[in-house]
Amino acid sequence: MCGIAGYTGRRKARDILLNSLRRLEYRGYDSCGIAITNPGMFVFKDSVRVSDLAELLPQLPGRTGIGHTRWATHGVPNQKNAHPHTDCSGHIAVVHNGIILNYQDIKEELIREGHLLTSETDSEVIAHLVEKYYQNDFLGAVTRAIKDIKGSYALVVMMEGKHELVIARQESPLVIGIGDRENFIASDVPALLDYTSRVIYLDDGDTGIVTPDEIRIFHNENPVQREVLQTIWSIEQAQKGGYEHFLLKEIHEQPKVLRDTISEYMVSAEPAFGLFDPIRKPSIILLACGSSYHAALIGKYIWENLLGLPVRIDLASEFNYLAKIPSADYGFCLTQSGETQDTLKAMKRLKQAGVKVIAITNTVASTASKIADLTLYTFAGPEISVAATKTFTCQLLALYWIAANSPLLDTLKSQNMMMLIRQLPGFLQEVLNYKERIMEIADLIGSYENIFYIGRGINYPVAMEGALKLKEVAYIHSEGYAAGEIKHGPLALVGAKTPVFALVANDNTRDAMLTSIKEIKSRGAPVLAISSDSRDLEDIVDAVITIPSVDAIFSPFLNTLVVQLVAYYAARKRGCPIDFPRNLAKSVTVE
Amino acid sequence: MKQAVILAAGEGRRLRPFTTNKPKAMIYIAGKPIIQYVLESLANNGIRDIILIVGYRREQVFDYIGDGKQFGVQVQYITQTRQLGSGHALGCAKGATDDEFLVLPGDKLITPETIADILAVSSMSVLIRREENPSRYGVVTLEGNRIARITEKPAHPESNLINTGIYSFTREIFNFMNSKLDIPDILNEMIEKGFAFRAVETEATWLDVVYPWDILNLNAAILHEIPGSQNGTIETGVTLKGQVSIGKGTIIHANSYILGPVVIGNGCVIGPDTCILPATSIANNVVIAPFTEIRNSVICDDVHIGSGSGIEDSVIDKGCHIGGHFYACSEETEVKVDEEHHMVKIGVMLGEGCRIGSGVVAQPGVIAGNYCQIKSFKNINGIIPDKSLVV
Repeated sequence: MCGIAGYTGRRKARDILLNSLRRLEYRGYDSCGIAITNPGMFVFKDSVRVSDLAELLPQLPGRTGIGHTRWATHGVPNQKNAHPHTDCSGHIAVVHNGIILNYQDIKEELIREGHLLTSETDSEVIAHLVEKYYQNDFLGAVTRAIKDIKGSYALVVMMEGKHELVIARQESPLVIGIGDRENFIASDVPALLDYTSRVIYLDDGDTGIVTPDEIRIFHNENPVQREVLQTIWSIEQAQKGGYEHFLLKEIHEQPKVLRDTISEYMVSAEPAFGLFDPIRKPSIILLACGSSYHAALIGKYIWENLLGLPVRIDLASEFNYLAKIPSADYGFCLTQSGETQDTLKAMKRLKQAGVKVIAITNTVASTASKIADLTLYTFAGPEISVAATKTFTCQLLALYWIAANSPLLDTLKSQNMMMLIRQLPGFLQEVLNYKERIMEIADLIGSYENIFYIGRGINYPVAMEGALKLKEVAYIHSEGYAAGEIKHGPLALVGAKTPVFALVANDNTRDAMLTSIKEIKSRGAPVLAISSDSRDLEDIVDAVITIPSVDAIFSPFLNTLVVQLVAYYAARKRGCPIDFPRNLAKSVTVE
Repeated sequence: MKQAVILAAGEGRRLRPFTTNKPKAMIYIAGKPIIQYVLESLANNGIRDIILIVGYRREQVFDYIGDGKQFGVQVQYITQTRQLGSGHALGCAKGATDDEFLVLPGDKLITPETIADILAVSSMSVLIRREENPSRYGVVTLEGNRIARITEKPAHPESNLINTGIYSFTREIFNFMNSKLDIPDILNEMIEKGFAFRAVETEATWLDVVYPWDILNLNAAILHEIPGSQNGTIETGVTLKGQVSIGKGTIIHANSYILGPVVIGNGCVIGPDTCILPATSIANNVVIAPFTEIRNSVICDDVHIGSGSGIEDSVIDKGCHIGGHFYACSEETEVKVDEEHHMVKIGVMLGEGCRIGSGVVAQPGVIAGNYCQIKSFKNINGIIPDKSLVV
């Protein structure tokens, strides 16, 4: 999972590529590089951040170039393995995102044929294949080269002295930005927003040649027209707007994005409701990875308890190893980016098995929405910080919205649920208004190395999400556990140096939670609690974060906001690189 | 002139409860915070490079304004950690400004014409205006078209010309910030040392909100200037008269009667059989249940108002949830704010996130704080502090 960029036009490619790479850094940042034809081929790359590359890079006037920011899959992050990769002659340069499954075979054959490969990456073979097949037809050589490749790729290839870029896409995202006597290429829209709002999304199997004045796209070697779309994201949304980190900005945006999503769903969410036939209750599979999986777990709870539907849930990354696909009517697949490779693979398997697939994603025209029979978008806007926050909340809203509007829910309950959904932005704002208390607790949390989050029922997935946030942004080892399971093992780890964070909802789990807390407390562990009702709690725990009182089925929204803020402030106290945690990337486009 | 420094760090204590969780510049008038009017006025005059001085509850400004692109400007934020005065706030921008720049308060509602007046003259000038009741402002004494002095809140004003707080300066101003914390004091000192500031009088819009009920006056004044537009779903039997603006995703249910000027935001559900009368603004994600009448009021985001309610001359802040048959009637009444007594004709001033049961009657002039809970069938009056529980 990497970010790629390309430019050909009338301006200095250097500055445009650097800027695009900066905006793509969330996709990977263990190394980066740029190649520019000036008219000779110049390649600069290293295992550095984009800001450091900018200092290394001379002021080349060349107007065509490619760039790459890497998240290592094959080969450690170092200068040799950084992209762009070149062929033996150094005349052809390639940037690649994806994975080439048969690269070992290709590499051996290329070496036999006398090619000199210098890196440990799978990507380098592409440059040499293009060299091998090149006979005065640049596009033809790339088209021939990708026939040898098995796997996924988004490619941009350039050749010394030529003001054109050849591109290809298979299962990895690639967009073209259309300018005035200049054109742009990137993995993702945010990299283009500074320059243009008109974009073309490529389909799997597309190849193309891009010059400053012309874009020609081919599918199976036949010319095709792809629709030019207007982006709905503005560059403003892609910037920090006063905040120190994207993560805090995105946490604070949650009341607004929920409000935006509500007004969008007032007009656009209806197609999803018809799926829930009250006569023949459908069976459902939910699939997702990471934070999306936690949102799906909450969705399962809601759909099972309110709609009385059988709901199976799997991690998409594990589902792909099931020998037999479980029978179901619908598969709801959650992916923020719409490009999560494991989820896409699971979607394809479901489709092949005849299951109708519904994608819930934040990215318009993503691969997930192309595969799915039906897409329900979340309207969170671009999320830059690697840790998911507002997209998680919007996924939850989508799942609750479906439940509230499903014909399976009686009208009175439906009305009541809609009323409660509309109050969520106000409740979230209230939690944000009282964040000083959360900061105090987070400072305390930041001084520990091991933490348990516990919850029961609908808040058990929130405990898992809280632990995940603390791991990924604050680098604190944390585990989310069902409170009832603590005594089956983890209690052995609990003690004065391992605090426990308890999510205490005001529902039928409350008494059992209090019992769990007492068990833990008697082992000498500091216990912190999040609850709307501090009665009976203040005496037995060390500190309580009080949240507004809501119907317990909506408590995950408020508890999630608290655990997000705890992770942010704990990370800030520990001096972590909050928006770009080590070893992680925003959208996981590899298996 | 390409740049402006906007001072938006201030709290506005007398506007509580509405400024407990947001700065004064973020008070909503006709569906937009005051600072948005300032930014749009600047953009309209080609001033797009904005330095925004923030402080009190600055996250509210960040969350709304972002980097300003949405409003046609580019914003750079500078934080004033302690709100010591307008001069001190401006001092925070030292080193960040061009040679020439405008300075404006972020909490006074203006239009593009207001700024055009000061842009017509060279820098080192002060925008002034006539005011019937000048003594609550800085009163300006003139010598020809130059400022002789500015006197803050004089008991016996020498003129009815007041300082709007809108200036055009050169960087010279930063050399005089050593001892004085407010811009008028700095100007007085500079004038004594021989500097000249030109006075420019404006007759364009410049509206200040000092007390909670001022929100209603500003709202009414601005609503008249907003043209009608309909983006939502309007069911049969709905009557819309006058200037009515309806946002996207909003549904106006059957038989509702809306008499402009009225602004309704995005994602709202109004009615059926609801009556919205002038001059009312309703923000986003608001529900107004059947058989409710609302007149001359400001309803903020995420508010729910139950059926059969009657609300007039009232301000209801974000996230309030009000049961059915709530009455907030307006009458001339005495209200105490900051130890001062005022005779005003208002209904209720309700802070953020209040939970109000059914059948509650608010006496005229109630000012309820944020996050109050009021049980059903209570009769409330006077000042109710934040987070009160009325049972």
